[in-house]
Amino acid sequence: MVEEKKVITRRDFIRSSSCVAMGSLMGLPLLENPSGKKSGKSRVVLVRDKGVLDGQGLPKPGILQKMVDQSVTALLDAPDPTSAWKQLIRPSDIVGIKSNVWHYLPTPKALEAGIRERLMDVGVKKENMAADDRGVLRNAIFKRSTALINVRPMRTHHWSGLGTLIKNYIMFVPSAWKYHGNACENLGSIWQLPHVKGKTRLNILVMLTPLFHGIGPHHFSRQHTWHYCGLIVSTDPVAADATGARIIQAKRDAFFGTGRPISPPPLHIAAADTRFRLGNSHPDRIQLIKLGWEEDVLI
Amino acid sequence: MRGALLTKTLYFLLIVVLVGGWVHAMFQKSYADSLGVLRAALPEQIMGWTAELEDRFFDDETIFDYIDGAGEVYRAYNMRTCLSRRYIAPKDPPITMDIFDMGSSEDAFGVFTHDQDGEVLDVGQGALYRSGWLSFWKDRFFVSIYAEEETAAAKEAIKHLGKVLASLITAQGSKPRILLQLPPEGLKPQSVRYLHHHIVLNYHFYLSNENILNLGPHTDAALAGYQGGEEYAQLLLIMYPSVGKAAKALAGFLRHYLPEADSTGVVLLEDKKWSGAAVKGKLLAIVLEADSRRLAKSLLERATRVPCQD
Repeated sequence: MVEEKKVITRRDFIRSSSCVAMGSLMGLPLLENPSGKKSGKSRVVLVRDKGVLDGQGLPKPGILQKMVDQSVTALLDAPDPTSAWKQLIRPSDIVGIKSNVWHYLPTPKALEAGIRERLMDVGVKKENMAADDRGVLRNAIFKRSTALINVRPMRTHHWSGLGTLIKNYIMFVPSAWKYHGNACENLGSIWQLPHVKGKTRLNILVMLTPLFHGIGPHHFSRQHTWHYCGLIVSTDPVAADATGARIIQAKRDAFFGTGRPISPPPLHIAAADTRFRLGNSHPDRIQLIKLGWEEDVLI
Repeated sequence: MRGALLTKTLYFLLIVVLVGGWVHAMFQKSYADSLGVLRAALPEQIMGWTAELEDRFFDDETIFDYIDGAGEVYRAYNMRTCLSRRYIAPKDPPITMDIFDMGSSEDAFGVFTHDQDGEVLDVGQGALYRSGWLSFWKDRFFVSIYAEEETAAAKEAIKHLGKVLASLITAQGSKPRILLQLPPEGLKPQSVRYLHHHIVLNYHFYLSNENILNLGPHTDAALAGYQGGEEYAQLLLIMYPSVGKAAKALAGFLRHYLPEADSTGVVLLEDKKWSGAAVKGKLLAIVLEADSRRLAKSLLERATRVPCQD
């Protein structure tokens, strides 16, 4: 006898209080078995600097590096950036920096360069590190990698609701379209693949000029970005994404008024928590440390 | 004897595959040809913008290389080919024009209804403009003209290019017949969407992780908003290929979504909205949410009273 697939409907979301109006950012506590859940809170650092962008909206490398250093140091309770990075990376590690090249809103090159610098400070050889996005499956460093640094800008996304840290690993599978079903809710499963699992040491969600609403086939308009001037940093990609998602929703509420939830709902964030056990999505299980510029922080 | 039969069967299958491939290739070529004709007439310059040297063509597979995940939307509306051209200007943002041959005017209309925000313009058979993006449909074509950043000059050029392009598409297309099933009273015209696929329905109104309504290429669906005084409702109509399939879809919907429905088919949901469903022949009508029981019942009655257009 064939077992019928479990059907989860809009009503289940409403019943579990993770209402769709919030883009189901609150997890699915009543729908999934919580056994095996990571205990404790996930620490997330939100760092902002009003001066990080120049007149053209491009990041100033020096200030960006300072933001990374501040956030990683606070995240790991370290006395200085190098000590913090030493908690994440060994000199012998082969490190892949998983960036994002979407040309409207790519991972800033200055950020990639800053990460490389800190990796070298720890003792990682230059030839043992690489940054890549669409070529990760063919990249020799990524193929041999023992550690991954995941860094990408946050944006709304036509099919997954949000382009997130979790989603950034879609390039680790050859057939990305297979993950498009039900608002890409199974993206978390990619993190369990043998060539990915357990390698991610740090996640940086770039919130310098996030996209809070997309239009048209290209899903981009400059009018729907804003100078938030922030980075969200965590070892827990789910907690970082859930935090970023709350900021995006708050910005949408401020811009459109209420009643414009992120669409489609970014189900993959909650599923990465409750189904794939990658981290914590619920605010009650996130310790948020805010550093720097406070105006219009939205969270 | 069995060997000969096997050989004949293999030959037959080979011929089927070859003929099928040839027919598919001919259809693809025909769609590319139609866009090719349109391309030949496109302006090389539009106000201060000049066309880049290379135009690009994409099909329903390569569209992902061009617009990533958004390609799913166009595939869900059976896109055949897309022609993309960029216009550049020295001091203004580039303008990207994408012409999608959707294969039918119904699907061109459908993909146009995917994004319903914006100012209504008189371009083609329906057009909207917002934040540097003009979209319109005409005949079996859906057109997107877009500037990454809106400037006054870009806005003017986009609108002008839209009008020029619409004039080059000479034929007019028909809208999906299922729209005739929508009860007119209280209908908010700019809320109407036409779709086939449950992932598109979920984009606009997240219903379920599974395709509980059995939506697919052979089902036509219309989603629309209704205003009754202060009250609001969303109505979904689906036309199935057969009466049996409509009845089966109703049964599945009630089982998964409204298991407590009584003979009226209307239920109070946990968010204090009302939902209900009714079937008439091949047509399934679902009030996804309504502010009152009265409005939900009224919409279901009116939707199933409209003479069936199929």
